[in-house]
Amino acid sequence: MKGFFANTWKHRAHVVMALPAFLILLFFAYIPMGGLIMAFKQYDYTKGIWGSPMNGIDNFKFLLASKDTFLSMTKNTLFYYVIFTGVGTFLNVVLAIAIDQFVFKRVAKTMQTIMIIPVFISYAAVQFIVYAFIDTRSGIINQMLGSNIRFYTTAALWPWILTIVKMWNSVGYGSVLYMSVLAGIDSSLYEAAEIDGANKWQQIKHITIPSLVPMITVMLLLSVGNIMRSDTGLFYQVTRNSGQLYKTTQVIDSYVLNAIFKNSNFGFVAATTFFQSVVGLLLMLFANWTVKKIAPENALF
Amino acid sequence: MARNKKEKDLDLAPSRYEKKGPGQYVLGLCLGLYTLFCGLPILLVFIAAFTDEKAIAQNGFSFTPAKWSLAGMNSVLKYGKQLLTSYGVTIFITVAGTMVGLLVMSMFAYSISRKEFKLAKFLSIYLLIPMLFSGGQLSCYIIFTSVYGLKDSFLLLILPLCVSTMNVIILRTYIVNSIPSELMESAKIDGAGEYRTFFQITLPLMKPSMAAVGFMMATVYWNEWQNALLYIKSDNKKPLQLLLVNIQKSIEVLLNNANVPASARAAMGGSIPQYSSTMATVIVVIGPIMVAYPFFQKYFVKGLTVGSVKG
Repeated sequence: MKGFFANTWKHRAHVVMALPAFLILLFFAYIPMGGLIMAFKQYDYTKGIWGSPMNGIDNFKFLLASKDTFLSMTKNTLFYYVIFTGVGTFLNVVLAIAIDQFVFKRVAKTMQTIMIIPVFISYAAVQFIVYAFIDTRSGIINQMLGSNIRFYTTAALWPWILTIVKMWNSVGYGSVLYMSVLAGIDSSLYEAAEIDGANKWQQIKHITIPSLVPMITVMLLLSVGNIMRSDTGLFYQVTRNSGQLYKTTQVIDSYVLNAIFKNSNFGFVAATTFFQSVVGLLLMLFANWTVKKIAPENALF
Repeated sequence: MARNKKEKDLDLAPSRYEKKGPGQYVLGLCLGLYTLFCGLPILLVFIAAFTDEKAIAQNGFSFTPAKWSLAGMNSVLKYGKQLLTSYGVTIFITVAGTMVGLLVMSMFAYSISRKEFKLAKFLSIYLLIPMLFSGGQLSCYIIFTSVYGLKDSFLLLILPLCVSTMNVIILRTYIVNSIPSELMESAKIDGAGEYRTFFQITLPLMKPSMAAVGFMMATVYWNEWQNALLYIKSDNKKPLQLLLVNIQKSIEVLLNNANVPASARAAMGGSIPQYSSTMATVIVVIGPIMVAYPFFQKYFVKGLTVGSVKG
């Protein structure tokens, strides 16, 4: 122990250098964790967070009592997680392989630049672009089809719209990581396969895809920790926060955001966020434990 | 994980010898179509911004508008002062946030990368926990506003996004893998103190990873709307993204209430914010990132890759 303190004192310069980030994390990440105690309190704005009286698990009882809202948004959150991760990973891999196989590298590079751009456009701006496509009267889609579809009030269409927007936004960017794995494959493997008479598809099936599997596994497992969190902008901005769409578009994060603006029952919301944080933590620990079993070098901790 | 042999071509596969058969052209066609899918919506923004307002009102949005016009671009000036202020706010937040973030994160990364520093282990765990567990939006909102008493403050736009676990890991990995520790040791033997070693030897060598992380951070700051929507009330602190959100809200209000009094319309700049001028505003908002991105593409592709190789 004494050695530890001596060591710390000797390296006090490192302590000083670590301090600013340490404090920022303390104030903006750690202390808010304490705010989760609100889930067990009857929040009273005038008494503040520490002064409000405890009310045990009443908030959670309330959560179960009004389970329609809670179940619907949890269901949506999980649904979109599965769709986005599933379709997203598939498209990331397909795009990475396609660009890797394409021999006109200069053209590929330009295409790649364009494909990545959407990820840098904020959802506050994206929603105007989406509007131009799906507005009932002036939208491009309705004009092309000569139809009169009311997208902003038809909840059943939104799983499709949100998936397309999300893929437009993230696939180009997501494939970069896989592409860097492909760039690392020893090209003599392909040459050898070609000499042995393997065609393109066989090469992809037996060389390219197997070499991507570790990265795919790791990315999937790491995303599990975010299962309860969503891309809030997508669900809040792109849907224009339209109440008629909530059935298919309300996720936990957008619900909480709305609740804060409406100043509604914070006990209920706090119980929801508590649930969200704890499930996220458990899944993350589980995912890391699994990664450790399969590929220890990729585990987070 | 296997280190990539061709560092130079990290972003694209090494060019193998391949026949340019018909298959390549089919592949090219598919990739081209996907590129269009990504690029056309952005192109539409530009076209709509230069389309005559009446043409949009009559025929809707179009890639081949009946009539072109500069009116949309001109009417961006209608938001004039607010747009300028918001631009200033966004630039300030982006620059300040990225600078502060890069500095504190690289110092932290350097500290926890020192093998002889025993506290590093604790600090690494301390860094990791926020990635696993967080208080969530509501706790943050309550703590920031009622406990810290911060409201309508730039601090809330800058500090919560300033330190991210993933970025520190990328920087630390870069220090461990790409900067030989002999350099730091020899600097110390030559009599440089800890701070001097970091600022004059390590920091300059971290440039590639800082460019990658810095660009990603700048994008996050530039595109941030949620904290602004939650915390910022006064007009002179509104960033661009919040301005966009407000424009959308005011359009909605006006569309939903056909009987908005003329005086209210007048207060909002004379008329309902219109399609082409809205699109022109979108251009103004997304433009800088799109111009800057190709210059940073190289770094940021590398940064992504570096981050995935654990040190």
